[in-house]
Amino acid sequence: MPATDPTPRKGFFTDTTVCIGCKACEVACKQWNQLPDDGFVFTGMSYDNTCHVGASTWRHVAFVERPIRLQGQTAGIGDFSWLFMSDVCKHCERAACLEACPTGAIIRTEFDSVYVQPDVCNGCGYCVAACPFGVIDRRKDDGRAWKCTLCYDRLKGDMQPACAKVCPTASITFGDQDELRSKAEQRLAELHGKGVTDAYLYGMDAENTPGTGRLNAFFLLVDRPEVYNLPPDPVVPTKKAHAAWQALAVAGLGMAAVALTAAFSVREASR
Amino acid sequence: MTRRYRDDPAAMQDGRNVNPGLGVLLGEGAQQQVKRVEEAFPAPGVTEVPPVHAVATAARPTYYGQPVLKAPVWIWTVPVYFYMEGLAGAAGALAGAVTLTGDEVLRPFVRRLRWVSVSCCAVSGGLLIADLGRPSRFLNMLRVFRPTSPMSMGAWMLAAISSFSGIAALLSDAPGALRRVGDAAGYAAAVVALPFTGYTAVLVNNTAVPVWQSTRRSLPFLFTASSMTSLSSLLQLTAHGAREQQIARRFGVAGRIAELVSSEAVERDARKVPEVARPLAEGRSGALWKAGKAMAVASLALSLLPARVKWARTASAVLGTAAALSTKLAVFQAGRVSSRNPHATFDMQRAGRGAAEVGHGSSNLVQLKVEGRLIPLDQAQGPTV
Repeated sequence: MPATDPTPRKGFFTDTTVCIGCKACEVACKQWNQLPDDGFVFTGMSYDNTCHVGASTWRHVAFVERPIRLQGQTAGIGDFSWLFMSDVCKHCERAACLEACPTGAIIRTEFDSVYVQPDVCNGCGYCVAACPFGVIDRRKDDGRAWKCTLCYDRLKGDMQPACAKVCPTASITFGDQDELRSKAEQRLAELHGKGVTDAYLYGMDAENTPGTGRLNAFFLLVDRPEVYNLPPDPVVPTKKAHAAWQALAVAGLGMAAVALTAAFSVREASR
Repeated sequence: MTRRYRDDPAAMQDGRNVNPGLGVLLGEGAQQQVKRVEEAFPAPGVTEVPPVHAVATAARPTYYGQPVLKAPVWIWTVPVYFYMEGLAGAAGALAGAVTLTGDEVLRPFVRRLRWVSVSCCAVSGGLLIADLGRPSRFLNMLRVFRPTSPMSMGAWMLAAISSFSGIAALLSDAPGALRRVGDAAGYAAAVVALPFTGYTAVLVNNTAVPVWQSTRRSLPFLFTASSMTSLSSLLQLTAHGAREQQIARRFGVAGRIAELVSSEAVERDARKVPEVARPLAEGRSGALWKAGKAMAVASLALSLLPARVKWARTASAVLGTAAALSTKLAVFQAGRVSSRNPHATFDMQRAGRGAAEVGHGSSNLVQLKVEGRLIPLDQAQGPTV
């Protein structure tokens, strides 16, 4: 139970309805963590030229620009709306990257966050293919896998992560899980009360994301997860791997039977 | 100070904008090395125009057609490793079976198989190390034993089978007790070889990549069978006695039949969601996949001709090798394509093949959009709809 934990579980609650897309979180994250540049690329598809969280970008603000009206939207000209969402590593309860890591470089910290130890990672890239959210990535010129650390250094110094600290609208809230949950439920009730019935919480509990368990970084969204580039029903691949291991066991025994048949049948035939 | 900073090319080019004369690099990402700034722009294909099928529609939204997942970062050495380690495993298993016959005439065959196994293991290790982002840290692979990670299990199996096969190969012709030690090691190698031969299928099945995850019930069969074909083809290409040829041929015919049957099963698994099966039918991965199947059929047909027809034997072996390589390359490439198609991930999960397959699905799945509004399914079934 969270209440009896020596160190309470920490995380983010990101309320996308108050995000203004200022990207201060992206900048603060880059600056505090001293992350390198990842190139000035003009995507030409939207105002979003960051596109994804990746090895050198641990916060990413999605800009969803659409020719539709949002629920309860009265302002603006014609059918047009923006949705913003600051995406980040979810620090899953069942973390695919951690379960896939063959070196033990990826660990669970005392804050319940998922942390990659750069001095251990040998850059095998398995976590990159395993993550159902497409968060962790390997930088080619560095060779190792990198992702959000939930500002492990700041947490150890009793400070909140840089992105939450800098967020001007409190779209990103950092805190103990229990606190965040009640805050999120309160906000959801408030929105529902105002008639924004589309609002829902993504990843707050295992009911919403049963495949990965509770997400330590969860979100308040107002449209389907796909709109924000989030998977609707993510699953840690390990949950499905037993079927593959079973198939492999049958295949291996089949090969043994064939090998024995081939070896012994020829011997008998030639005598 | 500003001048000095501008004069320091390293400080200017990594984009950190930290003047080493004024600041220290201690941040969580400070160790991240930069050679070329552009290297890090996330996920390949970001600046490409997304394929038509990835584009968003009102009913099937995506984020500007961008991928949800990160594409696997593995290079060409990985599919070649799939082939090589398969050879090593199949050779280890067949060597064990032939040793068990106790037939002295077949002893040179056993020795040769053991050497095939151990040399393929050595090449495999090299291929894997070449793929690592930090090759000097390859030994970290044996730092933990992690059953949830097929890659960890594979590293341990590779370490075990190369040691056992190596001992067995060296002691193949040793006198007396040493030879028995060699045989024991050979049997140990054969036991490890059974899961090792096709474990790379489990390795790719255990990812978020739609086409890989969806084929987890069939791909281990395909990879094991394809490895059997690989080995018999290699043996048929090199000169052997008639009985050795016969063993290799029987092993290979069974392998080719199993390969064809399981490749159909793989396709059937993938086709349950059309977007997931797309890379097996289209593009470079589709071409490789179809070529692999066609060559496996041809190789099987030729291997059924009488053994004395030499050209047929050679052609069958060449085609068998090409089929195995092509199939494993196709699966690898299909995974890369599949990971970049957001609809493959979304459709699969909407079709109840995400977490819903192993327990209950997300509450997101029971949301419906009715007249532009998100409505829980149980409410949507009311009289107003």
